Amino acid sequence: MVLKEIDSKKFRDMVRVATHRLGRNAEFIDSLNVFPVPDGDTGTNMNLTIESGAKAVAENTSSMVGELTESLAKGMLMGARGNSGVISSQLFRGFYKATVGLKTMNAQELANAFSNGVATAYKAVMKPVEGTILTVARVAAQEGANKANETDDVEEVLTAIVEGAKAALKTTPDLLPVLKQVGVVDSGGQGLLFIYEGFLEGLLGEKFTDRYQPDEGEMDEMINAMHHQSVQSQLATQDIENGYCTEIMVDLTADVPHKKPFKLEEFREHLSGLGDSLLAVSDDEVAKVHVHTEHPGAVFTYGSQFGQLGKIKIDNMRIQHETIVNNSDEDQQSVEFAVIAVASGNGIRTLFESEGVNRIISGGQTMNPSTQDIIDAIKKSGAKKAIVLPNNGNIVMAAKQAAEVSDLPVGIVPSKTISQGLTAMLSFDPDLSVEENVDNMTQALADVVSGEVTQANRDTTINDVEIHQNDYLGIIDGDIKIAETDVVTAAFDMVEKMLDEDSEIITIMFGRDSNEREAQKIVSALEEKHDELEFEIHDGGQPVYNFLVSVE
Amino acid sequence: MAVKIKTNNGLIDISNGVVAIVVGCAATSNYGVVGMASKNAFRDGFDGILNRANYKRGVVVKSEDNRITVDVYIIVGYGLKISEVSRNVQGSVKFNLKNQLGIDTKAVNVIVQSVKVLDE
Repeated sequence: MVLKEIDSKKFRDMVRVATHRLGRNAEFIDSLNVFPVPDGDTGTNMNLTIESGAKAVAENTSSMVGELTESLAKGMLMGARGNSGVISSQLFRGFYKATVGLKTMNAQELANAFSNGVATAYKAVMKPVEGTILTVARVAAQEGANKANETDDVEEVLTAIVEGAKAALKTTPDLLPVLKQVGVVDSGGQGLLFIYEGFLEGLLGEKFTDRYQPDEGEMDEMINAMHHQSVQSQLATQDIENGYCTEIMVDLTADVPHKKPFKLEEFREHLSGLGDSLLAVSDDEVAKVHVHTEHPGAVFTYGSQFGQLGKIKIDNMRIQHETIVNNSDEDQQSVEFAVIAVASGNGIRTLFESEGVNRIISGGQTMNPSTQDIIDAIKKSGAKKAIVLPNNGNIVMAAKQAAEVSDLPVGIVPSKTISQGLTAMLSFDPDLSVEENVDNMTQALADVVSGEVTQANRDTTINDVEIHQNDYLGIIDGDIKIAETDVVTAAFDMVEKMLDEDSEIITIMFGRDSNEREAQKIVSALEEKHDELEFEIHDGGQPVYNFLVSVE
Repeated sequence: MAVKIKTNNGLIDISNGVVAIVVGCAATSNYGVVGMASKNAFRDGFDGILNRANYKRGVVVKSEDNRITVDVYIIVGYGLKISEVSRNVQGSVKFNLKNQLGIDTKAVNVIVQSVKVLDE
C-alpha cells in the first residue's frame, strides 16, 4: 500500500518515536563525542533539545501538520542545548517554515521540508565544517529530494532520507580528521540518524525497537572515543584508579554449568560495581563488555556465569600511560648541576623528582641500565656537572664507568637501594662541589637501613634462611633475613629486625603488586609495639618489590 | 599587554593578537555565530563582521597570574537560541585556549553585539 501523505496523527507518532529512540541511545551518542570539544554530552544535549520539542507537540491539539511542525521547532529552539542541539533546532526551524499552512504533508512536501531545514541550518554558520551533523542532514535531504522526484510514496522518501543519513554518517571520519584519528563517526550525525530512523519507525507504526545495539565496529568506535576522552583528562599514572582495560565477549547461547539467566540491566549494574568506563551491550546471542577495572578476574568470573567467554583482552593502562609519560620526559629542563637517579615505578620517580632529581633512568633489579644509558642521561640533562644515584648494587659499576668516560665532572654516590638514594638526596646541595656532595651524600647512606620485600621464585637456602618458592623475602641491606608465606608478616618481621634505639622514621613504599591497605596493616602492627616511631606510606608503584622500607 | 606563562625554563609571552585569533576562531567555529564583532561598536560600526586579521578588535584579554579572562564580542544569527550559542562559545573558547595555548581561563564573557537576520 502506498502511503501518500502524513497527517497530524502520523506526525505525532513520528516525533514521539524519534524522541524515544534518541533518548534511549543518548549515552551511546555521548560516548562518540570528541568534536568540537570532547566533553561527551552530545547525546544528552540532543535528547534534551528534542524532548523539549516533543513536549510542545504533545501539548498542541491541532490537526494541522503545519502547526505541529511549528510547535516542534519552537520547542526545540527553547530547549536547544549544545552545538548539536542548536543545529537540530535550526534544521527543524527550516523544516517548519516549509510546512506552514499544511494540513498534511505529501512526499514532495516532506522532501522540501527536509531540504529547507538544511538550507536554514547552513545559513547560520560561517564556515560549515563537513563531517558533522550538517553533512548528514544535507546528504539525507538530497537523497529525499531525489526520491520525491520518482515517487509520491512518503514512506519511500523517508526511507531514502534515512539511508542517505546512514551513508553520510559513514563518511564523516573521512571528512573530519579528528574523527578519523579517534576512529569514530560524528556524534551529532549519529544523533540525527536516530531521529530520522525514529521518524520512519513512527511513520510505519511499527512497535519501536529498544535501545540501539551497536555492532562490533561501532563498539570499537565507542571504546576508541572513551579512551580518547580519558587520555585528555588523565594527568598522572597514579590517578588511574582502575588500571586494567578489560574486554570480554560472552556467548550467551553456549551452555555452562549453573548457567544464570541473562538480564542486561542486572549485568551492567553488577559490572559497574567492579570498575568505571563501563560499556556493556548485548543481543540475544552475545554480550560484549568493556570496563576499566582493578579486577579483570572478577569480570571474567561474573561473565562466565552467563555463557562461554569469547574474545578476552586486558591492557594494563598504567604501563601504557607510564610509557607515554616517560616518552615525554625528553623535554625535562636543563640545569647547572644535575642529579640523575636510577629508579622504576611512577611513585618512586615522583618521590625522587620532589627531592630535586632532574633525570630518572628507568631501571632496577630486573633491568639494569647500561653505562651508555647513564652517559646519555648525563648528556641530555645539559648540566655542567652531575651526581648519579645508582640505587642498586648491580648498577654502581656501570655508573662508575659512565663517570670515567664522561667529559663532565660526574660523582657517584654508591646507593644500593631506593631508600638509600632517597635519603642521600636530602643531603644534596647544588651550591657545593661534586666532591663535597658525594662525601655528604655517601655519609648519609649510613643513616638509613634499607629493607625490601619481594617474592622468591625458587626453593633455596641462603644465610641459614630456608626459602620456598613464592615465599615473601625480607631483605635487609642486601641480605635475605626473612622468609614468610604472608607478605604482611614478612614485612613486619623485617622492619622489626631493622629497628634499633636510634630509629625514628619508617618509610614504606608499596609496589605495583601490593596496596595501601597492606601497608596500613604493617604500620598498625608496628604502631602497637612502638609508639615512639613515625610512619610514612607512599605509593611507589615499583615492580618486583612488594615493599621498600627505609628506617632512619 | 600579553599573556605571560611562567615555566621552569623561563617565561612564555603570548601576544594578545595570538590569543585573539585562537579565541576568534574558536568562537566562530560554533554553530550560530555568524561573525566576530568589534568591541567598539560605536566607532567601528554596529553590525560589521570582523575579518580574521581584525579579531583582536572583538576580543579583550585580561591576564592575572597564569589565568586569563576573555571578553568575546560576537554576532549571532537570528532565530537561534542566543543563550545556548553563547554558552557553546564559552565552552569552545575555554577548551581551545587550554588545548592550543595551555592557558587556563578564569572566565569567558560573551557579549552578543548584534543579531544578523539571515534571509529565509
